[in-house]
Amino acid sequence: MNNFIAKFFPISIIFVLLFSLHISCSSNELSEDMNDLNSVSEPKFSSAAINNSEIKVFTRIWNDPPTLDPHLTGDNTSAAIIVEVFGGLVAFDTSLNLIPDLAESWTISEDAKTYTFKIRENAVFHDGKKVTAEDFKWSFNRAVDPNTASPIAETYLGDIVGVKDVIKGNSDEIAGISVLDEYTLQIKIDSPKAYFLQKLTYPTSYVLDQDNVNSGKSNWTDFPNGTGPFKLTEYKIGEQIVLERHADYHLEPAKLQKIIMNLAGGSSMAMYENDEIDITGVGLFDLERIKDPNDPLNSDLVIANPGFSISYIGFNIMEPPFDDMNFRKALNHAIDKELIAKEVMADLLVPAYGILPPGFPGYSDDLEGLRYDPDLAKQLLMKSKYANPETRPRIVITIPGSGGTPNLDLEVIINMWFENLGVEVEIQQVEWATFLNDLNRERFQAFGGLGWEADYPDPQDFLDILFHSESDKNNGSYSNDKVDSLLEEARIESNINERLNLYNQVEQIVINDAAWIPLWFEGEGHVLIKPHIQGYVITPMTISKMRYVDVNN
Amino acid sequence: MWRYILRRISWVPFLLLTVSAMTFVFGHYGPGDPVEVMMGSKFDPETAERLRASLGLDRPVIVQYADYMWGAVQGDFGESLRFRGRSVSSLLIGKMWVSFQVNLVAMIVSVGVGLPLGFWVAHKQGSWVDPTTVLITLVFMSIPIMVSIPIILWGTCLKLNLVPCSGWGGIFDLRMIVPAITMGLPGVAGIVRLMRSSTLDTLGQDFIRTARAKGLSSAQVDYKHVLKNALIPIVTVLSFSLAGMLTTGFITERLLGIPGVGDFAIQSVFNRDYPVIMAFTLILSVAFVIANLIADIAYTFVDPRIRFT
Repeated sequence: MNNFIAKFFPISIIFVLLFSLHISCSSNELSEDMNDLNSVSEPKFSSAAINNSEIKVFTRIWNDPPTLDPHLTGDNTSAAIIVEVFGGLVAFDTSLNLIPDLAESWTISEDAKTYTFKIRENAVFHDGKKVTAEDFKWSFNRAVDPNTASPIAETYLGDIVGVKDVIKGNSDEIAGISVLDEYTLQIKIDSPKAYFLQKLTYPTSYVLDQDNVNSGKSNWTDFPNGTGPFKLTEYKIGEQIVLERHADYHLEPAKLQKIIMNLAGGSSMAMYENDEIDITGVGLFDLERIKDPNDPLNSDLVIANPGFSISYIGFNIMEPPFDDMNFRKALNHAIDKELIAKEVMADLLVPAYGILPPGFPGYSDDLEGLRYDPDLAKQLLMKSKYANPETRPRIVITIPGSGGTPNLDLEVIINMWFENLGVEVEIQQVEWATFLNDLNRERFQAFGGLGWEADYPDPQDFLDILFHSESDKNNGSYSNDKVDSLLEEARIESNINERLNLYNQVEQIVINDAAWIPLWFEGEGHVLIKPHIQGYVITPMTISKMRYVDVNN
Repeated sequence: MWRYILRRISWVPFLLLTVSAMTFVFGHYGPGDPVEVMMGSKFDPETAERLRASLGLDRPVIVQYADYMWGAVQGDFGESLRFRGRSVSSLLIGKMWVSFQVNLVAMIVSVGVGLPLGFWVAHKQGSWVDPTTVLITLVFMSIPIMVSIPIILWGTCLKLNLVPCSGWGGIFDLRMIVPAITMGLPGVAGIVRLMRSSTLDTLGQDFIRTARAKGLSSAQVDYKHVLKNALIPIVTVLSFSLAGMLTTGFITERLLGIPGVGDFAIQSVFNRDYPVIMAFTLILSVAFVIANLIADIAYTFVDPRIRFT
């Protein structure tokens, strides 16, 4: 019966849909990459590209961006559009190397606290106006202005001297940013930070045109005057976004004339097969069919790099029974992740034994994870304070979601704990906003269904933010003095190898302390891309990449 | 009649006040916070506090409510908290209009097929045609939309290549065909059954026998007397469903790529986008009141025996 159904795509759409809905509900951090995989086409029925085969168009499915204001954005759906329309001093290339964008070059002072950027003299906004150091100064100030109410300004710009004063309303202008001349900008940070330039790649640091922002009320983002390789020429909420080539782009201009983003959604596999879009993600249920070399779509299949993310089960280390390290370790050793990955997740996820994802700076094969070992798990349980089931507290894992089946992997894990250790664990599911509410107040005994995704490729973004005892995102109240001091040392270490070495030590301690149960890294994704599309690179992070894409008619 | 309508309308403000106050209070005192959803993984308490202040969410609930309602009365539903900087009306009205158009076409299909079918079937009472037709329409009604949509898409779009697979282009677009079928056909069963029973009911009335006795042709009897009377309950049911036409289900929207309001409304609740939730509730409440009023008034036109005072 199942095989029969799997041959016919329509039914499978439902499952893929429900699957993706499930993902987006259960973990906002992990979800948006699925969007990245739902996307482009030479539309047979859609308006623009029909008549003129000369025009190079890329069509994809996308979602309505919550905002197109670079200074407000914190989500990948918005960021993926913003990075094509706007730009900042520095950016990442498709291999995630830091490259100059609007800054032609920069120098860093001896004490590593002063950055001086030289801005390209040929850089212009979409309307032809030159980009100057003043524009940058105004933009940084606007990003942190309390009236802008940016939820992420402090995260990305908080290192700059004076930013916190402006955010708190104690000052009108960022003290650490000054204009040296028309094309020279100086930024001072509060202490040496090796990852500062990486943070500047995020849209919070992008340059905006003051006249554009002040022109209308809040709807200026419908007519943005950016500096990116594409101009936004049409935005109909819920219907479509059209981006067109910016011919005077300061780097190599885009090859595509037009990008059409269909915002109404639809059955992306069917639309892809019908030549309505140029790219689509492939869900679990279509994969088997498409992997068959005889399937006409097989030749379009592209294996996508995994994104930089990890999902995990966290617990409150102050609360019984998770205050006992042996108990936490026992839980870790009692899960056969390899088996789950293979049998339940169809190898779409990779078992995680550390914190940093494979391919991420600082990832180390030498890390010793807590591998599956039921006997060791039992011994550890016996050594713990909670060996006796009579006196063991009730254990509840809370996960986000809106009804329906909880995460399949979690159910199997709970069953493994019961079979291997006799430990009973309950699942409680609460809706996302409520979940966040309790998570931020550290009210959970244990929590799952949560992930962390890289904002910039630096181990600080995982280890410091998630495990420093004073971090707001250390939701399990994990605290280890050694970890704190190593993390603080790494923040200012300028030798890259030394720095990564410090992070490796931190990661090993965190694993040895069993601060988490790391579950999965993202596995390789499967994407269909039409053969006439060239140069589309699937990257593990949201970066400006559409200018490399070409259509070969 | 006019007094009746006026009296009904004069109740609307009280109704809206109650509904809006309940929505607002439940929303604000319930768990969850729009600022936390907005910040997601970037949450820190201080920034959250500042954001709340700048969005006016730190004011007493009663002040926020009064402020919101004062704006709403003037037609300003505020700005969305999820789609920052966008007015709620610009987001909501367009999506509701899309939903309405889709529902309208679906209703035309349901009624266009259901009414004649029900009327015809009623005249076939006793033959095999009657139960068979009812059974077939019930089958259509019972197939969930998440099954029917993919099957119809597979057939019409991928195999026969008649229509695009999904998307939205307005009522007079090829892409309207699949939604019209998948959303219209399930409605046929209800209309057929309703029309059938009300026609049968009418057929058994004395005045029909009188009409036939007067020597009217059966066509005259059917269209002048039977149809008109049989339509009364249908008109009521249809008028009641008018208000519901402002929304569509999010599964339908997702599968067919219709930019309707269903998915948007659900996401607004999940994201605690208070201004959107409030506006949605208010607009739907008004729509229900108006729809009920239309139903009442429609009665009097179809059946002159009914009078409201």
